[in-house]
Amino acid sequence: MLSLLTPFRSHKYLLLQLTQKEIKARYKQSFVGYAWILLNPLALLAIYTFVFSLIFRFPTNDIPYSIFLFSALLPWIFLQTSISSATNSLVNHADLLKKVAFPREVIPYSIIIGKLMDFLFASVVFFALLLFNNIPLHPTAFLFIPIFLIQIILTTGISLFLAAANLLYRDIQYLTSLVLLLWFYATPVVYPLSLVPSQYVWVYKLNPMVGIVEAYRSVLFGYPLESSILIWAAIVSVIIFAGSFVFFKKIEKIFADIV
Amino acid sequence: MKPSITFDHVVKEFFLQEDRTFKELIPSLISGKSWAKSKQVLDDVSFSVTQGETVAIVGKNGAGKSTILKLIAGVTYPTSGTVSVVGKVAPLIELGSGFHHELSGYENIFLNAAILGMHKKQIELVLEDIIAFSELEEYLPVPLKKYSTGMQMRLAFSIAVHAPAEILLVDEVLAVGDVDFQQKCLNRLTEIKNTGEKIIIFVSHDEKSVTNFCERAMLLDAGRIVFDGTTNKAFSHYYSKQS
Repeated sequence: MLSLLTPFRSHKYLLLQLTQKEIKARYKQSFVGYAWILLNPLALLAIYTFVFSLIFRFPTNDIPYSIFLFSALLPWIFLQTSISSATNSLVNHADLLKKVAFPREVIPYSIIIGKLMDFLFASVVFFALLLFNNIPLHPTAFLFIPIFLIQIILTTGISLFLAAANLLYRDIQYLTSLVLLLWFYATPVVYPLSLVPSQYVWVYKLNPMVGIVEAYRSVLFGYPLESSILIWAAIVSVIIFAGSFVFFKKIEKIFADIV
Repeated sequence: MKPSITFDHVVKEFFLQEDRTFKELIPSLISGKSWAKSKQVLDDVSFSVTQGETVAIVGKNGAGKSTILKLIAGVTYPTSGTVSVVGKVAPLIELGSGFHHELSGYENIFLNAAILGMHKKQIELVLEDIIAFSELEEYLPVPLKKYSTGMQMRLAFSIAVHAPAEILLVDEVLAVGDVDFQQKCLNRLTEIKNTGEKIIIFVSHDEKSVTNFCERAMLLDAGRIVFDGTTNKAFSHYYSKQS
């Protein structure tokens, strides 16, 4: 438990500096700069809204499709960008791994915190969209935060595992983007859970992101939720994090030898 | 606590990663070779360095010099034997690592110093000294990618010598930079050395700077320490082995 918090205490400033680097460096020498943080999700929103509300027309209760989509798409973008960048993060910092000693998880953590900032900025657009469409938030909306915490635990766990595994085999980074694409369509982000054929739905719900995404929509818009799938998601997330953290710390000592 | 470095019968093996990808797995399975071969880079190395000492490590390429530095820095661990290091270590980071090319020189000072284990307050305390030493004040708002290699090297060196570390690792970095700056670096290292409080480990092929700067030198050959004593004797040993 103690070693879990080390990077946030003794290496707080390093974590801050690496996070700042991550955020600042990304949009340097770019004309619109930080606006990309908003432009990216907005462009995705426009594309998916076009495809799935004009062409496929998914049923989304009384909520406009764009809002139905955004409530899950923003957290999904956080998960996806965190995992794909974190997977490459240790390889990209190979020269540091070979020179300076510090708790290695600081590197993937800095990536995830950077993406978390993106998420917070993009959330402003979500609230603007709610206002624009005159949709009141459900009184339970604040419960979004604990559910998002579960998602952060899941994201961090997967990121730690993949970042370390990618040092051993670079195949991981290519596989990751494929699996993330598959995972995106196996999660009810662009479509509602009700469209999943009932004979497969139990397998479908093994995906921890199903419980998390359903819970977001439930607390924001009052959709019905089976609490069992959220509990399942929480258990899976904690197990993945614990296993990945132990794995990461175990092979951390040979990072400099294998990179 | 006085800084010290002690190596006790240290053996270090590396995996040779020729069989890393699937493409190479199949032939290696058929030919019956093992999946990963290991190579011994340090063989039964024992030595100790105490406060105030400045020690050069000399030897041919591949003799194990960098591995010793990595073990001291704590980024890698011995296969057997023990390494104990008391005190904070500041590796003089090679060009590029610890810097980000899109960030300005100023931002990079903070990034690099944080990597060397400094906190914000500690950095602010020596910030002016770092900038003055680097002689790069007018370039600080410019992204690092616009710097020449010599300028980057100067910035890196300026940060490292101002880090509040007891053990300094200097690895071939003086090769870059012009003569004036090299001299300035050596002067600064001499200042640090003369305080008698720190340990400096110096890796270089430049005989002149090694003999001027270090009283003690360790000669490495194929992972073993073949000589440990005065710098002059170490070099005569080195040349006698070659001829």
